[in-house]
Amino acid sequence: MLKQLRDPSDKVLGALLLAPAFLLLALIVVYPIGKLIGNSFFDLRLQGGGKAHWVGFENYLLVVQDIDFWNATLNTVIITLVTVPGALLVGLGLALLANLPFKRRWPVRLALLLPWALPLAFAGLIFAWFFHTEYGFVNDAITRLGGPQTMWLLRPNWAMAAICISIIWKSSSFMALILLAGLQMIPASLYEAAEVDGASRWQQFREITLPMLMPSIIVALIFRTITALQTFDIPYTMTRGGPGNATETLAMLIHKNSIEYGDIGYSSTLAVFMFLLSLVVTAIYLRRISRSA
Amino acid sequence: MKAGYNHSVFSGPRLRFIAGALVVINGFFPAVWILLTSLKTEAELVTRPISYLPRNPTLDNYIFAFTDQPLWRFILNSVAVAGLSTVVTLFVSALAAYAIARLNLKLRQWVLTAIVASSMFPLITLLVPIFETMRAFGLLNTYLALVLPYTVLSLPVCTLVLVSFFQSIPRDLENAAMIDGCTRLGALWRVVVPLSAPGVFTAGILSFVNAWDEFLLALSLNSSPLMRTLPVGITLYQTEFVFPWPVISAALVVAIVPIAILIAVFQERVVGGLTQGGLKG
Repeated sequence: MLKQLRDPSDKVLGALLLAPAFLLLALIVVYPIGKLIGNSFFDLRLQGGGKAHWVGFENYLLVVQDIDFWNATLNTVIITLVTVPGALLVGLGLALLANLPFKRRWPVRLALLLPWALPLAFAGLIFAWFFHTEYGFVNDAITRLGGPQTMWLLRPNWAMAAICISIIWKSSSFMALILLAGLQMIPASLYEAAEVDGASRWQQFREITLPMLMPSIIVALIFRTITALQTFDIPYTMTRGGPGNATETLAMLIHKNSIEYGDIGYSSTLAVFMFLLSLVVTAIYLRRISRSA
Repeated sequence: MKAGYNHSVFSGPRLRFIAGALVVINGFFPAVWILLTSLKTEAELVTRPISYLPRNPTLDNYIFAFTDQPLWRFILNSVAVAGLSTVVTLFVSALAAYAIARLNLKLRQWVLTAIVASSMFPLITLLVPIFETMRAFGLLNTYLALVLPYTVLSLPVCTLVLVSFFQSIPRDLENAAMIDGCTRLGALWRVVVPLSAPGVFTAGILSFVNAWDEFLLALSLNSSPLMRTLPVGITLYQTEFVFPWPVISAALVVAIVPIAILIAVFQERVVGGLTQGGLKG
């Protein structure tokens, strides 16, 4: 008996070792998914208010008719469509620059790591200060160059632009780190062969670098898209969703309805929609990948 | 490892310097700007055109940052939450990774996929049920309320990093220890654990940074003033109409410096862990 305890079989040991991970996933992911879907069929509030009533699909009907929901969905989609390609382009540029044969690599590497390690909420605060109408760095630089003043965070479209710029800055360095690792795995012999064949630099980039980098690009895109759909921290710290609700995202709408208004049933339904949205996006990506593979 | 760098457009040393400077300015400028802001007086901050370098550098903002709000308490909360999450994440993911990497299990690929797939799941959509669960257990405004979800947040990447690390340790070493009379768990403890220290370390930094940075759950689950983590606490320095920018900047500098030092010291490991987790996921 004691010997068995000290030298367990693979199956027993495996079950023991995996138990904590699965218990945790059950508590924080699986059970909440069930609870979330259940909530969405009830008229459930956080405080007081007697018993919860079964309301069928009423919450779903309310969500579909809710202008705020469509506004938040549109904002989330805009942020995703702008910042994912934006971060990819900036990240690719940074990765190509950072891949040069520097004598000291650490300043460049640290410059890519720092934005990654900076909390999103801090990036939002810092950029809110950058985009401050009167005393911000951005407007000051524009004025010195002779351009017009913009009330960045107080005008709907400009606020959205400022938020997208901030998100691109914050996320492009992670992109660059992933792409840099991909760049460093491309064998130099490929470029040497291309050089012998007389290929131009641009041809080398198009015919060797880009295709070889594709797997890293796809991985980086998937990660970035999933996080872009969950955007919360940067708009929350920069504008609180304003002016009005011009920059309110789905995650912000869920947070507002649940934590601030205490409407559990409704916010759960919103979350179900958001989950479906990210499911669709993930499915599209996975299909693309399996087709290209 | 030798990439085709001498084939790049920027091959001359001068152009290379410009390229490096671009990357460095892009990465450091916001942090430097905040540092400069934190040293300016409120009066200097509201002059136009704005000044770049502080004319009369002052540390007053740092004093205000600590007296205006319980900044020490926010730091303590962040360190406690990130530290505890890291310990729990490492424990849970090391056990799972060892099982996946070493044991003869039929479902190992399925297990790894299940753990990684949970990272694809937008945790934000689960905000409401997680909030309800923590409330039901009476855990709102406790460290545990954040430690549990943060562990799930970092579990996939840490498991991936550790699986590939365990796989790189020769199985013979373990077998030799068992021949020398170690039990299986003894071999795990005496051979595998010490040899995996570097991998455990990398995974630890990743999960620490993840927990240190998280905002939405911290804002929602631990909202009482004394339980706020740094990102939440500093965000709430502002009231609806007043943005004390110099004080916020000072608090930001205080909050950024420790994590900046951490990643500066261990940058190679962090990059290794990030790209490994990213490329294999």
